[in-house]
Amino acid sequence: MDVSIVFNGLVAGCLYALAGISMNMLYRPTNTFNFAQGDLIMIAAMTCAALLGVTKLPWYLAAVLAIVLAAAISFVEYFVAIAPMIRRRHGVGWIISTLSVSLILQDIVGKAFGPDPRKVDPPPPFTTDLQTLGPLEFNSYQVLVLVFTGLMVAVTGWFYTRRTGKAVNAIAEDREAALLRGIDPNRLAWMSFLIGGVAAGVIGILAAPMLYASTGLGPLLVIKGFEVVAVGGVGSNRGALIAGCVLGVVEAVSGATLSPGYQNAATFAVVLAILLVRPAGVFGTATARAV
Amino acid sequence: MAAVQGAQSRGGHSLIVGSLVFVAALGVLPMLVRGEYVLFLCTQIGIYYLIALGLNLLSGYGGQISLGHGALVAIGAYAVAISMVDYKLSFWLAAPLALALTAGAGALMALPAFRLSTWYFALVTLGFANVVGGLLTEWRGLTHGFAGVVGIPKPALFGHVLTQGELYWLMLATCLGAFLVVRNLVASRFGRALLGLHEHAVLVQGVGASLVRLKMQAFVISAVLAGLAGAFMAVHKTVITPDDFPTDLSTFFLLVIVLGGMGRLHGALIGTLVFFIVPELLAALHDWRLLIYGTALLLLILFAPGGLAGGLESLARRLGRGGTAAADEPSGSPELQRIDGAALKVQSVSKHFGGVSALSDVTLELAPGTVHAIVGPNGSGKTTLLNLISGYYPLNGGSISIGGRDVAGLSASHIARIGVRRTFQTPKLIAELDVLENVMLGAYSDETRSLAAIGLGLPGARREARERTAEAMRYLQFVGLHKRAHDPAGEVPHGQQRLVEIARALVGRPSLLMLDEPAAGLSLSELDGLATLVNEIAKLGTTVVIVEHHLELVANLCRSVTVLEGGRILASGTPAAVFNDEKVMAAYMGKRAIAAGGEPT
Repeated sequence: MDVSIVFNGLVAGCLYALAGISMNMLYRPTNTFNFAQGDLIMIAAMTCAALLGVTKLPWYLAAVLAIVLAAAISFVEYFVAIAPMIRRRHGVGWIISTLSVSLILQDIVGKAFGPDPRKVDPPPPFTTDLQTLGPLEFNSYQVLVLVFTGLMVAVTGWFYTRRTGKAVNAIAEDREAALLRGIDPNRLAWMSFLIGGVAAGVIGILAAPMLYASTGLGPLLVIKGFEVVAVGGVGSNRGALIAGCVLGVVEAVSGATLSPGYQNAATFAVVLAILLVRPAGVFGTATARAV
Repeated sequence: MAAVQGAQSRGGHSLIVGSLVFVAALGVLPMLVRGEYVLFLCTQIGIYYLIALGLNLLSGYGGQISLGHGALVAIGAYAVAISMVDYKLSFWLAAPLALALTAGAGALMALPAFRLSTWYFALVTLGFANVVGGLLTEWRGLTHGFAGVVGIPKPALFGHVLTQGELYWLMLATCLGAFLVVRNLVASRFGRALLGLHEHAVLVQGVGASLVRLKMQAFVISAVLAGLAGAFMAVHKTVITPDDFPTDLSTFFLLVIVLGGMGRLHGALIGTLVFFIVPELLAALHDWRLLIYGTALLLLILFAPGGLAGGLESLARRLGRGGTAAADEPSGSPELQRIDGAALKVQSVSKHFGGVSALSDVTLELAPGTVHAIVGPNGSGKTTLLNLISGYYPLNGGSISIGGRDVAGLSASHIARIGVRRTFQTPKLIAELDVLENVMLGAYSDETRSLAAIGLGLPGARREARERTAEAMRYLQFVGLHKRAHDPAGEVPHGQQRLVEIARALVGRPSLLMLDEPAAGLSLSELDGLATLVNEIAKLGTTVVIVEHHLELVANLCRSVTVLEGGRILASGTPAAVFNDEKVMAAYMGKRAIAAGGEPT
């Protein structure tokens, strides 16, 4: 088997893992899964691409603006679509409300930027020019993605050992009990959406040079992010990393032998098979709280 | 829903006549308009109605949001198209094949998701839709790729090929049949359990329903309706291409039922009609479709989660049609059948959560037909013990037997089926149902009629439904709430909610009844009533376990008491002996209070 195919799969898998990790960040303090998370990532990628293409801003300034935009939208989304639903405790409301945010964002971005995918150059000093190392072909930008993903997992892992991180975990475990311990779930929730928005922004500009920026990125990443979260175990970032790598490789290898339509089907079948054997994911634990 | 059913029983004949006129009008009107367009549009509305009807059952009643219904319709449509065009099958063979395929593909996909939270299901169905959408264009050998399947013939009956008008009538008859089946289902034990599925899964298990089975049944019915719609779509359009099934099709149907009213019987109809009429008026806004969908969904779920049907319901109630029906009320004390109590044996049970030990080495033995209390400070493990006995948590050690049968390792719904019922610390009533329907849910595992018999409204199923309603009414009368039978459960005061819970537990004729803090939050007069009620229950013969803080109540009601502290048994015996035990007094009042000469009760 071609080593480069596996490597490319790993890099793509890292992006999926990052999407999944950003979904985990929002899941823990709110117990909701943001259906618009993929679109936030997409918006950052599109904004960055548009700024670079039209205004000739410096790369890093464009990136910062894109991240700020994604974070702002995420922040607003929390107050419009998440907070009222958590208050009402209506079980499925948040699925529908975040789904509608996703529809709205997709349509606005599609109308603003048009349907054509945009190419984004990687930031200097990184390039997408291929280098060879034995049988392996790679570029420096791919290395950046790998390193960044590792850092992200390490930093989030460290965060959950801190006081605030523990408070977030307490909410994930039992919102009411956390409230009794003096933890303010609402404050942590909107902060998480702000940080989750920043993460979405960073992932978007990180993904743009590899995947092209298009509105299709949103639906793609929400499904990939979910697959990663489900296989890795919801809430587990290490699980997300490993699941992302595995699914990325499965996808790359099946993509080398099958056409894209079948490739999706193959990855999806793998996810379903894993869920059938381990419903809570590979690194997840089933929570026991009945009455 | 309660209001709708109430209206049916009261309004009776005028409602039936109205419905008949409505259906007849639907059958005749499109024929009166010249030109095929109206007929074409009406058939289209019928197709969408079928899909919305099924989705409402699954997502509206069952709370399982599907984002893959568009793909199910595609499977149904392509199955009919391919088998009619490429394999020359007749419609009457192709359609059942399509239904089987849709149900099978759907079930296979949904099985892993059903063991998990709702949002897994939403995303798995989204992923499924994504895969099917890709295959429609990729699997050219089967689907003809982008070109689609062309020249799908109309169904033929004894050599006569149906005209567009006749196809419409067939469609209308199918819609009517599907509506009646869904109506029968949601008014049955199936529908009641389905409504509890999302918010009160614990309760639904507690009356003996299997969650996975329930979800699967709802999903398969829903998928079959989507497949049926797809089958009609194929012969109606005569050409189908991947463009007929855009990625946002599933979201569109979700919007239809949110607009019409999720979990409302007529939500699907109202939603479909409004959705077809409005775009006809606003054709110019077609480009802004997605934005309008999204905004409408968001506003509806935020400000009108009951949709149009929900709005009409509250309007009707405000106009004073929602009062209680007092005509067929029984009076006097009901005669209830004796219940055989079961012995309960809890042997050295232990349970820990992570590193925290909740119960260790707890042993308890109850003779059939006795009333036993479990008391102890907060956090001493009382409710955990109940949860272990009713099967919500697996044991970490020891054994439990009920009526001589080892129940360790059985699921909560299985244990419920052997005759265990309980109430909950926080009453779990299904707000969408009325009081009587909530009580009827308790008999879930006793009902014997199959889903098919219920859906088709067979005489046996209808007889059973009547008997069960009457029986639930008797138990409601037993707890003194029959006057409230048709009130929405959400509007009943707290103390009475506890009584509804007790009636719901009793209607399942439990050999072991467990009451979790039944006196919490009751007023003094309600407390007296509760004491009398528990005595009456004990006379029926069932074994009763009460978890309670109210020691006076316990002392009056129970022959034996177990005191838990910190997950261990502190004392057990008769109330008189236990409450004068020094260790118990120390646990309850502190050592200094005893030294000062405090009285325990």
